Amino acid sequence: MSEALRLQDLVVSYPGRDRAAIRAVDGVSLAIGAGETLGLVGESGCGKSSLANAVVGLVKASAGSIRVRGEEIVGADRARLRAMRAQVQMVFQDPATSLNPRMRVGAAIGEPLLVRKLARGAELRARVLTLLDEVGLRRDQADLLPHQLSGGQRQRVVIARSLALRPALLVCDEPVSALDVSVRAQILNLLVELQAQLGMASLFVSHDLAVVRHVCDRVAVMYLGQIVETAPAANLYAAPRHPYTRALLSAVPEPDPVLQRSRGYVPLSGEIPSPAHPPSGCRFHTRCPQAMALCKTTPPTLRRIGETEVACHLVEG
Amino acid sequence: MSQVLAVENLSLSIAGARVVDDVSFAVAKGEVLALVGESGCGKSLTAAAIMRLLPAAVRQTAGRVTLEGQVISALPEREMRALRGRRLAMIFQEPQAALDPLATVGRQIAETLRQPWPAARPAVLKMLEEVGISDPERRASEYPFELSGGMCQRIMIASALIARPALLLADEPTTALDVTIQAQILALLRRLAAERGTAVVLITHDMGVVADIADRVAVMYAGRIAETGTTAEVFARPRHPYTKLLLASIPRLADVPKSRLAVIQGLVPTPSQFGPGCRFAGRCPMAEARCSAAAPGLARIGAEHASACWRAEDMV
Repeated sequence: MSEALRLQDLVVSYPGRDRAAIRAVDGVSLAIGAGETLGLVGESGCGKSSLANAVVGLVKASAGSIRVRGEEIVGADRARLRAMRAQVQMVFQDPATSLNPRMRVGAAIGEPLLVRKLARGAELRARVLTLLDEVGLRRDQADLLPHQLSGGQRQRVVIARSLALRPALLVCDEPVSALDVSVRAQILNLLVELQAQLGMASLFVSHDLAVVRHVCDRVAVMYLGQIVETAPAANLYAAPRHPYTRALLSAVPEPDPVLQRSRGYVPLSGEIPSPAHPPSGCRFHTRCPQAMALCKTTPPTLRRIGETEVACHLVEG
Repeated sequence: MSQVLAVENLSLSIAGARVVDDVSFAVAKGEVLALVGESGCGKSLTAAAIMRLLPAAVRQTAGRVTLEGQVISALPEREMRALRGRRLAMIFQEPQAALDPLATVGRQIAETLRQPWPAARPAVLKMLEEVGISDPERRASEYPFELSGGMCQRIMIASALIARPALLLADEPTTALDVTIQAQILALLRRLAAERGTAVVLITHDMGVVADIADRVAVMYAGRIAETGTTAEVFARPRHPYTKLLLASIPRLADVPKSRLAVIQGLVPTPSQFGPGCRFAGRCPMAEARCSAAAPGLARIGAEHASACWRAEDMV
């Protein structure tokens, strides 16, 4: 079984003030198996979108390795990169800004096939109609313009376009955050169906833990540029090991007043530090309710316990 | 319980279409009422109408708003202006956009008190401490760009509450914030409403936020209240098909992974598609002929529970 994606010590940095680079992604290693959906969760500034953008090639990796189906894309030449990009497609948060307002739905969905000269004419048309079926749009909607569709329908168009090349890996960055609750459910159901039908791997970036739980096989939690915990979804939600994962889970308000009010939850104190000046030692120590002296000085490394990997001094491997 | 706010039969129109239709609710001292619904349901326009800050294109065609026994919906603008910030205040979704970028935090909070900064200073510092800002002296001299989103929302809450208004309107106050920061802000709002007896109208699309903080909830759909009641009652026994489906369509932490979520078929009707009947009828799995013929009024089905559905009795 070939891996869809493997990241090794990935660093993505941006130039900051006073020449000090901001390391938005700071030494991340992770893998996504064939057909697997990995959820990447964390709060603003944790680097989850920078990581996703590096995987699809929208930003350059500063160091480390990104392998898609075993092939290295960091430092690859243009021709190789172009070939690799067909393997990795992306769905963004806001479908309204992901589509050309003057391009009809059918043309938008067929565009990847056309530019790569994989289909044209009647064959292209047939492929587009199949893609419309797959994402639950009507065939006659191929002739509409994006403004004639609702937000949920537009996101279906974006998903259809991303599936046109049958990528090895689909990267979804907050794909349902801009959608209303009732529409969000439709798109989540669609993504789950497509995973099963097409067997493709995906990287699902989201701040919403309930959504991630719903669609992902495994979950990685990021804090200030680093992974603090990775585990199969069931384990992560049932028995979170890292204090940050626990805090994040308990901060999600449950849509059930009896449950929500019986949790006796104490909010995490303090603010998320700036990624430009991450704290010393364990980056979470400034907000961690269980921080010890060691945490302020020594960064913990990821340790494997069963199927879970966790970076915390409290957890002994 | 003494009533702070009463909204009666409020109707708002845009170009002849009733985007808010016959909405009534009341909020008591220290109580948190959530107005919940999806985009375009009229929840934010309802708040703007209470503040009398409606966009020019929106006309109020009917309705009366009473604040602490005084009808404010017909006050001249000059008198209304004197009330804003003092007896009713509002906070918004994007705290950074709602603060003045050119005024220090301390000065803009002092502005609510209509006092010069030196005179207001002790009260402002005390208020900053109450909203959980550490080192208030230093923060008071900073500008909004120097603060995080969560801190800016605390500043907004401080400037909204410093004049001890009877009513706080909070329009999606935590939507732009991260979950751990959202949890802090919700806890703060809950504590301040209880301590100061402020009545709060919380506008949100997030049923989790409603479950966390609201005493009562009004679920809005396409400009009308579909269902209202105590939060516990509405979540445990929804008596409007829209509420029931909405609750079932939310992914929860306890769900079986990859299970199918309930889906509400179709789309919210646009104002030009509003017919004479129930506005949810076109998407409702329980709809009958009478549903598209005539609109059901909000009818009481329990001590504090009301539903605008012809078939509310059929829902168990």
